[in-house]
Amino acid sequence: MMWTSELWHWMSPIWAVVGLLLIVYLVAVRPLQPARFIALLLGLLFLSMAYVSPIGYLADGFVFSAHMIQHLLMLLVVPLCLLLSLPSRQTTPADAGEKSPSLKILATLGWLGGVGAMWFWHVPSLCTISTETFTVGLVRDASFLLAGLIFWWPIYGPLERTRLDPPVGVLYLFTACLGCSLLGIYITFTSTVVCPVFATPADQLGVLAQLQAAGLTPGVDQNIGGLLMWIPPCILYTGAIISLLARWYTSVDHDHSTTPIAPLA
Amino acid sequence: MLNHDPIDTGQSWGLFSWICSVDHKRIGIMYMMLATFFLFVGGFEALLIRAQLAVPMNDFVSPKMYNQLFTLHGTTMIFLVGMPVFTGFSNFIVPLMIGAKDVAFPRLNALSFWMLPFGGMLLYFSFFSGSAPDAGWFSYAPLSTKPFSSLPGVDYWIIGLAVMGIGSVSGAINIVATVICCRAPGMSMQRMPLFAWIMFMQAVLIVITIPPLNSALAMLLIDRWLGAAFFEPARGGNAVLWQHFFWIFGHPEVYVFALPSFAIVSEVIPTFSRKPIYGYSFVAGSSAVIVLLSYTVWAHHMFAVGLGMWPDIFFAATTMLIALPTGVKIFNWTATLWGGSIRLTTAMLFAIAFLIQFVIGGLTGIMFAAVPVDWQLTDTYFVVAHFHYVLVGGIVFSLFAATYYWFPKITGRMLDERLGKLQFWIWVVGFNATFGVQHFLGLMGMPRRIYQYDDYPGWYLLNLISSIGAGLMAIGTVVLVWNILKSLRHGDLAGRNPWNGFTLEWSTPSPPPLENFDELPEIRSRRPVWDRDNPELADWKTEKTPEDKGFRPSAAKTAAWAFVISEAIFFVLLLVSYVVFNSNSGENTEGPTAGSALDVPRTGVFTLILLSSSITFWFAEHCLKREKNGAFKIWLTLTILLGCAFIGGQIWEYTGLITDGITINRNLFASTFFTVTGFHGLHVTGGIIALSIMLIMARRGYLNAKRSSVFAAVGVYWHFVDVVWIAVFSIIYLGYLQ
Repeated sequence: MMWTSELWHWMSPIWAVVGLLLIVYLVAVRPLQPARFIALLLGLLFLSMAYVSPIGYLADGFVFSAHMIQHLLMLLVVPLCLLLSLPSRQTTPADAGEKSPSLKILATLGWLGGVGAMWFWHVPSLCTISTETFTVGLVRDASFLLAGLIFWWPIYGPLERTRLDPPVGVLYLFTACLGCSLLGIYITFTSTVVCPVFATPADQLGVLAQLQAAGLTPGVDQNIGGLLMWIPPCILYTGAIISLLARWYTSVDHDHSTTPIAPLA
Repeated sequence: MLNHDPIDTGQSWGLFSWICSVDHKRIGIMYMMLATFFLFVGGFEALLIRAQLAVPMNDFVSPKMYNQLFTLHGTTMIFLVGMPVFTGFSNFIVPLMIGAKDVAFPRLNALSFWMLPFGGMLLYFSFFSGSAPDAGWFSYAPLSTKPFSSLPGVDYWIIGLAVMGIGSVSGAINIVATVICCRAPGMSMQRMPLFAWIMFMQAVLIVITIPPLNSALAMLLIDRWLGAAFFEPARGGNAVLWQHFFWIFGHPEVYVFALPSFAIVSEVIPTFSRKPIYGYSFVAGSSAVIVLLSYTVWAHHMFAVGLGMWPDIFFAATTMLIALPTGVKIFNWTATLWGGSIRLTTAMLFAIAFLIQFVIGGLTGIMFAAVPVDWQLTDTYFVVAHFHYVLVGGIVFSLFAATYYWFPKITGRMLDERLGKLQFWIWVVGFNATFGVQHFLGLMGMPRRIYQYDDYPGWYLLNLISSIGAGLMAIGTVVLVWNILKSLRHGDLAGRNPWNGFTLEWSTPSPPPLENFDELPEIRSRRPVWDRDNPELADWKTEKTPEDKGFRPSAAKTAAWAFVISEAIFFVLLLVSYVVFNSNSGENTEGPTAGSALDVPRTGVFTLILLSSSITFWFAEHCLKREKNGAFKIWLTLTILLGCAFIGGQIWEYTGLITDGITINRNLFASTFFTVTGFHGLHVTGGIIALSIMLIMARRGYLNAKRSSVFAAVGVYWHFVDVVWIAVFSIIYLGYLQ
């Protein structure tokens, strides 16, 4: 059977990271808001699943699409959950609408980081090295997490003054969607093998033979990987765009309004 | 002197005053009249098609003629009726709704309009060349390539569409800049009437959706004229790539039509229900989301082509997803009707019919999202029925609603309601008779685009009903024309606000004077005219809307950004074609490749030259802002010289390649290489011309710190050209992605 316990990596060191984050959060964030704490727990759950569950095992040189799911979790989902778990600092009436002067730079870095990380790590040679070498893989995963945090910061960052105006934020996400779509389209339709290491895996558990028998040939695998790169991020961005628009339409002037800024979109 | 008098003064009705007009209202009217003219042309073609299909085994028209008829019917209705008529309404109504005097660039507006009749003439001139285009409105390759369509019909189709595309994009950029930069004080983006907001979204969609078509057209033209083989599988090309490119344009194009319908209905239904729209922010926001989602579903037009199971699954999912923002809006409109004080005017009747018929068209659309259903029904009359329910039952009906709603504002006279209702009922019966039965014909297996059919059971009767229905729609249209002609002379005077409308266009005389408003009501909510007329019930007292912060960016820079985004998409598609045809694992390795033909270090030097021109430009801009005119001119001249040096390098490279026998028709590497770098070179040349104009203006003293935003707009373009080159250089010369 495919989902044997051998595919689960229960002894993964990721638990240390998860535990550390949880402790830091519990110590630093007071008072605990239930919605935000749930966001944190979800983030930690996704983070651990990216390594502990079969996704983590299969991503390690076996199945390209699992590797893509892991990337998407690390780059998009986990950072988003972590940012949403942070308490947002409300803007005081005095500095309403004041934006941080470094916001432009932050947003440019965030966009380039979020879109660029995917493009960078899928250059065939880098993709292979980072899958084969543990340290490079570690750097890659850390860079995904970091890039994801900077990417989401101008949208869901806890500080109102480092958040983009909603219309600009919509443009930011829209172009990011086009950027990752292009890579997704490329990976889906190209005849080039994007990550050669997945073409010749060393299959100790015999999982791969089963998967291939079920139709997951390397070609189909890359196909799915590309589609995962392409469609789910865009749907996630669309959701974020909807929440931005909701924030925008409810942003009645700060000084004499009765509705506060939407705290958690 | 030519002036732009309001059309009711009776002074300047001469033809010349219209041709020279830059007034947004007159240009809007000209768009609508052009669309009406071509509606008759395209409608006549449709009637000929239905006459041919009225009886089995008819030989009223020849098969070739039949192919030309359905090709031109589709092309005309999309590009010469649908696009212009909505651009016309947008042109006339949007500036009025946001309290602007005119559009941001009135002369560009006139240029955009005049591209259309020019493109239309090119398209129809094909008849005199002996071969009208006959490869269908989406001109699938390889049918549209030279070996299968050797006569010039397809060439006229390409050139006509490209010309009209330029007009559409520049017109859309104008609307974008108008909405962003020309709103009256108090009109925050979140307070714009839904019509203005959704037409803004439609303009954004046009800006990003026409470029894929242009890339495809350019490549097809290069195939046909210069002997390349992008879309000829027999010579290594890829016919499916045409389908991808065409539908990346083609599917969002559906929303280019659907969004204006949503816009119209979102004004008509609230006005005649005497209520504000239910869920303003949902209708506005979902229209923005549609712009994004419409870009992710194109491949559902290609389920039958064999993309593979997984792409089919993903595209089926996104297609069902896009039904959500559209479907929920139906509830917004019906909820607006709920409990309203409904007046069943002709405009309202058309809007209600829109709701019902659009839902039918939408539901059959969701059926097609299920891949197996699509496989069964694709290319049958079920498809024809589906998209005509969307395009005619939905969009044309909303267009009639708009006509009856805004005719009083445009002309100052009311349309006859009795004739209007007559037209409405003739159309409801005629439309449903024509296209309703086509669902059944499709299910029975009648393929689309056949010019004859055998007398299978039921086919004759259903086709006959369909043809009679088409005749009814023609009669209904004659009623409308009669109504318009009669009302223009004898219609009741409309006054400012005949319908008790809520938005700003109803606060000015009908027709509006030049520069639109003598005075504007205070804008504190989404319904300023309601607020003014009912001060005790004013919207802003009960519901707060975000205040206008007064931010209006430079129109020139906004337009430059919109243009650059459009061009970026054009280049992305060309680069995609390069990657597709030059991947190392492909079999297209015969003849020269990037590795064997290109001198990378030499081009690297010229790359540095081009990139440094961005730096010199930055210095020039800096000097202009500081009013250091001498230094400004020196930096600007240097920028131009660097640009020229880059072009010189390109000429050097081209000469070398051509003397080695590497020309654009040699192999797919050469075709893609010359296409991508050639278009980039053209853009650099355009930039050099723009910079030279700036230099001449500076020498004559027209360019100063105050006008630095104009220079900055040119800068946006110049930097963009450099960024494109970085992508071109990394992909073609450095081999990234191969």
